[in-house]
Amino acid sequence: MWNQVGQSLQQSMERVVDKVAMLLPGVFAFIVAALIFLVIAWAAAWVTRRVLMATHFDERMTRGASKIAEWTPTYTPTRLATRVVFWLFVLIGLLVGISAFAAGSSEPAVSDAIFGYVPRIVGATLLLVVGNILARFVSRSVLVTAVNMNLDYARLLSIGVKWLVLVLTWAMVLDHLALGKGIVDMAFGILFGGIVLALSLAVGLGSRDLVSRSLEREAAKPVEMPPSDKLRHF
Amino acid sequence: MPATDVAAGTKMTTEQNSAIELLIGVTGDVNPVDLRSRAAAAVAQSSLPVRASGQVVVAWPGVEGAGVESGNGSAPTLIPYRPAATNEAGPWAQISAAQRGILTLAAEVKAAACIVIGPDLKALRADTVHALGAPVLDRQCDLVMPIYALERYEGLVNTAILMPLARALYCKRVQMPLALDFAASASYAERIGAKANRGLLWPAIAAAQETMQVGQVHLPVRHQTPMEGLDLTAVLTQIVGALFLEVERTAATWQRGRSAQPTPVWGQPAQMHESEETIEVRPMIESFQLASRNLDELWQLVLPPVTLLELRHLARCEPEQFKMADRIWARIVYDFALAHRLRSISRVHLMGALTPLYLGWVASYVQEASMMTAEQVVQRQEQLARAFEENKPYLVSRWRWPDRFNP
Repeated sequence: MWNQVGQSLQQSMERVVDKVAMLLPGVFAFIVAALIFLVIAWAAAWVTRRVLMATHFDERMTRGASKIAEWTPTYTPTRLATRVVFWLFVLIGLLVGISAFAAGSSEPAVSDAIFGYVPRIVGATLLLVVGNILARFVSRSVLVTAVNMNLDYARLLSIGVKWLVLVLTWAMVLDHLALGKGIVDMAFGILFGGIVLALSLAVGLGSRDLVSRSLEREAAKPVEMPPSDKLRHF
Repeated sequence: MPATDVAAGTKMTTEQNSAIELLIGVTGDVNPVDLRSRAAAAVAQSSLPVRASGQVVVAWPGVEGAGVESGNGSAPTLIPYRPAATNEAGPWAQISAAQRGILTLAAEVKAAACIVIGPDLKALRADTVHALGAPVLDRQCDLVMPIYALERYEGLVNTAILMPLARALYCKRVQMPLALDFAASASYAERIGAKANRGLLWPAIAAAQETMQVGQVHLPVRHQTPMEGLDLTAVLTQIVGALFLEVERTAATWQRGRSAQPTPVWGQPAQMHESEETIEVRPMIESFQLASRNLDELWQLVLPPVTLLELRHLARCEPEQFKMADRIWARIVYDFALAHRLRSISRVHLMGALTPLYLGWVASYVQEASMMTAEQVVQRQEQLARAFEENKPYLVSRWRWPDRFNP
């Protein structure tokens, strides 16, 4: 019996080692492809940055209506474009690496599954990035505008808008990834409706006095504030 | 009509007659008949030192198909000009584009002096034309900026930000760096008109950049501001935002300047009309306090911890004790100028976050100014401008090392 146990263990070890030996060339090919494209990505980003700086891309983009900087305040348009080029090449490198992995390891099922899902992942990532930027931008816009309108519930409004956009974004991301179709639809409906209901209740019941005071103050204000006749800012 | 055609047409006219001594340009749509008669009367009565052989021409925006209309008798020649291209939005951007267009035309026709007049034509009077034009025609300076007759609570954006910031950075004591009316010499028009800058035109800053002589003149004129009807954040975005852009564009120059030099001032200041009406500052203080509770996360991205701490203290003050120190205000403006350059937050949000701080300053200033005489108000403004000058090293340090120098 012990001989049979020993043989079984030996056979399973051989199968695992064989599998690993079959996968190793593919993994090596993946790493090499990824490294090569990393170098290409770095070079392409460098060239892009030099070209955009030489053509005064930042100055052009900050003029007029097409102000990218308003949406991504931390980065200049040149830096943004450079990063996009860099990560594009890195992504291409990963795809080439996966393809090389499939060719090297004779395991097409793995790469087919990954390749089939890549467009969804890319789309979902884009949705997530855009959604997050949009949520931050819209929530700050609401906050600043509401504060300058002297609304006491400015922060509540801003947080509410932010979470509405984020929930909408996540629902779209999960829908795009085709994860838990029915559950996501239902959960989104419940969550979105819940947030709206919670805000309504918060404003209507919890902050009723606050809102009524704020509205009363607004209503009590004359159309033109008395100081504005004498107070001229510009 | 293209600018070159205008210049060619004018050249023919001037060659037939004489050199252009004075060009008066209007920065808005006007009735040409009315403009011509008012300009003729203003120039005739102004006793400007114009040579007998010199010609006076009037530039106006023109209408479709308008050409050069030669003058007859005392009526000056009318020349249409084309406003310069601009990518900025807002009423003042249109005025700036027109001012640049007038300067370009003045350079093309080689006018000895150029007077730029606001679109409401309130400055097109004999006394103002003389006051603006005489120093340039007498070659005393290249640019004459006006000092308008304002009441103590008027032009507060200028008092709070434009004047002290421009004065501290560009080292010229100019009371109103952004004006509807000014006069420029031929060399000023030639140098500034030729520059392809699509932002707002800051005449005094441009003169400081070119190391030209600047003078000021008291004008008893009260303009209807073109920003009327816009909310405060829009005004700050269009005007202060434009100044921050200019600061960013000219960073290499202003970092070298030390102390502000005085400029010659002509004329007597108009008597300040004193009103008994008091200004209610409580709503402005409440706006500031509300912002202090809600905009902290945005202010943290712009202001250093010390300033934030002082603002929190200020927000807790009773209205009677509410006083924003000049040093704090100067540093706030400098920090916002830096954040505008670094894009720490979106520029739209940045100017929105500045609005309640500005209202806090206004409340503090109004409380102080309400107990002062007209002379004391002027001294108070001077004190604020000096605070900006004293804190200029702070801006220079933060501008050069924004990450390392963050007190």
